Amino acid sequence: MRMQTPSPYEQTLGEHLRSQGISRRSFLKFCGLLASSMALAPSMIPKIAEALEQAKRPSVIWLSFQECTGCTESLTRSHSPSLEGLIFDAISLDYHHTLQAASGDAAEHAREEAMKEHYGKYVLVVDGSIPLDNPGYSTIAGISNLDMLKEAAAGAAAIIAVGTCAAYGGLPKADPNPTGAVSVSDIIKDKPIINVPGCPPIPVVITGVIAHFLTFGLPELDSLGRPKAFYGQSIHDRCYRRPFYERGLFAETFDDEGAKAGWCLYKLGCKGPVTYNACATTKWNDGTSFPIESGHGCIGCSEPNFWDFGGFYKALSIPTGASGKNAVYAAAAGIAAGVAIGAMNKKSKAEAASSHQTVTVEELNQESGS
Amino acid sequence: MSTLTLERGINAFKAQIDAPMASFFSSCVSCGMCAEACLFYTENPDPRHTPIYKLEPLRRVWEQEYTLIGKLKAKLGLSKPVTDAELAEWQELVYNNCSLCGRCTLICPVGNDITYMIRRMREGMVASGHAPEGLIGASTRAVNIGSPMGVKLPALQAQVRHLEKSSGLEVPFDKEGAEYLLMLSSMEIMNYPEYLGAVAKILTNAGKTWTLSSECFEATNSGIQIGSSDIARELVSRVVAAAEKLKVKTVISPECGHAYTALRWEGPNLIGRPYTFAAKHIVEVLDELRAEGLLQTEGFEESKLTFHDPCQLVRRGGVVEQPRNLLNMVAKNFVEMADHGTLNWCCGAGGGVSANEDAEEVKLKAFQRKKKQLDELHVDTLVTACANCRIQLEEGMEVNQMDIPVLGLTEMIAEHLVERKGGAA
Repeated sequence: MRMQTPSPYEQTLGEHLRSQGISRRSFLKFCGLLASSMALAPSMIPKIAEALEQAKRPSVIWLSFQECTGCTESLTRSHSPSLEGLIFDAISLDYHHTLQAASGDAAEHAREEAMKEHYGKYVLVVDGSIPLDNPGYSTIAGISNLDMLKEAAAGAAAIIAVGTCAAYGGLPKADPNPTGAVSVSDIIKDKPIINVPGCPPIPVVITGVIAHFLTFGLPELDSLGRPKAFYGQSIHDRCYRRPFYERGLFAETFDDEGAKAGWCLYKLGCKGPVTYNACATTKWNDGTSFPIESGHGCIGCSEPNFWDFGGFYKALSIPTGASGKNAVYAAAAGIAAGVAIGAMNKKSKAEAASSHQTVTVEELNQESGS
Repeated sequence: MSTLTLERGINAFKAQIDAPMASFFSSCVSCGMCAEACLFYTENPDPRHTPIYKLEPLRRVWEQEYTLIGKLKAKLGLSKPVTDAELAEWQELVYNNCSLCGRCTLICPVGNDITYMIRRMREGMVASGHAPEGLIGASTRAVNIGSPMGVKLPALQAQVRHLEKSSGLEVPFDKEGAEYLLMLSSMEIMNYPEYLGAVAKILTNAGKTWTLSSECFEATNSGIQIGSSDIARELVSRVVAAAEKLKVKTVISPECGHAYTALRWEGPNLIGRPYTFAAKHIVEVLDELRAEGLLQTEGFEESKLTFHDPCQLVRRGGVVEQPRNLLNMVAKNFVEMADHGTLNWCCGAGGGVSANEDAEEVKLKAFQRKKKQLDELHVDTLVTACANCRIQLEEGMEVNQMDIPVLGLTEMIAEHLVERKGGAA
């Protein structure tokens, strides 16, 4: 991503798109897609178009903490060079250490400049969780993730936490959470935070949330800080295999007749019923399909602590194991049993060894001769 | 006289199962990668040839005898005890279709030493009377005659006389206080007598003192192959007794893979104490002489050649660089096979397979893997450092009408030897 010079800040998004050769027709089609994906009435399409056209290209600072770059990959790979990609290009991405051309001091300088120049107005996008155990677990330019987040959040108009790691801690937070990873909302309490979870999130959802913020300001959020427009319904509710669930037709293994006939994957561990995301409607790879359509159950990646749900292939109704006090008692009993069994095993091995009769070649031949 | 019974076999299984094996069985994730690592599977893809499956009866004994779940299952009648018929069925898997080459162990993603377990499982197979005829015969001859092929001392003495006459070298017997005790395999005495001549020439030329023992000349150990520690201990004790009587510093294991494993690795564990001497493979000794400047060569082999790594040497023994150092002294056009070194494919006849008549057919099937490796290379010569590999390779080549001569590394080095002034010769 090139570094923006100051002059394009004057350009509106509409002007920028036209200069990029995007026709008004395809622009309106995009607005229609946005409206439908955000469950807005068709009458809102012109309003989105108008608002987007007039929007000034805001400054965006993207910080990456304990993450795998999958969120950035998701966004860039599947959309470039689509219309969404250009919209994204049309915001002023002043800092994104994977995508920007500058490096070292120049990169950090760009971040500091943008923060100073657009103080109180820029959008802060964060992917990755923040380690609290030891700041040295993850640093950028010698600055700990915690310090950089606090500093950048101070001047942000809003924060978009992209990916499950930034939104809820994600994989780094998975038991036993070796780095003491936490989410953005665990640290920042005084700014509006929009969570866009998913591992990774759907590309159009990332751009859609940014577009919504540009046009209508903060979207309506659910109890977990997710935009209701995209995370309002469960995968299960919108799943095309739902009719099989209703009729009690389940695939029992991944290669049985039920699986071949496209029956419900609930018994194979699908987390669709408890997962809120837009996969079943917007789909992935330019609307090609989504995991259930490819024959694999939903793993629930847009939900907090999905790594510790108790196994991707365990059906939801199966209890996920003892917890709390029970676990302690079970462990104590297990250790005691282990010691006892170990002693017994030692005894039976010793008995076996002492009752071993030496094998002689005479015996070998007697046996084979008989 | 007592007989071999199922009960004795199961008891042997119980006695053999140790902590490493318990952890191996409990950490197996059934991924099946060992199948692709095994030439008895790749050249004959029957799911029963998957290495870990060859251990199934042993695994069940472990589960039933040493795990809580297994004990409960056995009590509730959910798992059946291992039967004599099952062990009989498994005989071909454990003996004919495994050369103890160790490739599965190396490939296993959780680090299970499958080869170690098959070696241990054979203890129970022997004790229950399910060892193959061929290996019983070889073990009997090894114990009673002193050689699995039935070679007696006079045969060796005749070879030595012939060698002394033709070369003028002295081949000493029972020379006390010599630095090296040279052990042989019957295959070398009968099939490749040139080996003894080559070693005699190199050691004498290096100015080293060495000797043969008239009490024990055989280094191979049928007890290891059949999988009986009792027989293996008896055989290795004879080598130890001879070496300690002659007060040698080093015992040289011949160009044979499992003899090296028997002498170098299993020996001290079998007799329950450390040796008073070092045990080395001839290739290791030659490389030491090279490093000391006592082994110099002249001239080069012009033909394109490659090296077949004997499994027990390279994979179970860690002798990887030494043969290459030596080959590079005398070969200009040395190329490596696609999988070489620690990942080399077995010749197909190790671990007792060659002595087992029941395995004649599978052993030639297994050779197809080596054939594929060789077909890719188009070499003129194949070099190896194991007489057992060499016999199998020669037989495989003949059956498949491949015209590639197989040479022993030691002989090749001896042919290029430069005579030293300080040497006794």
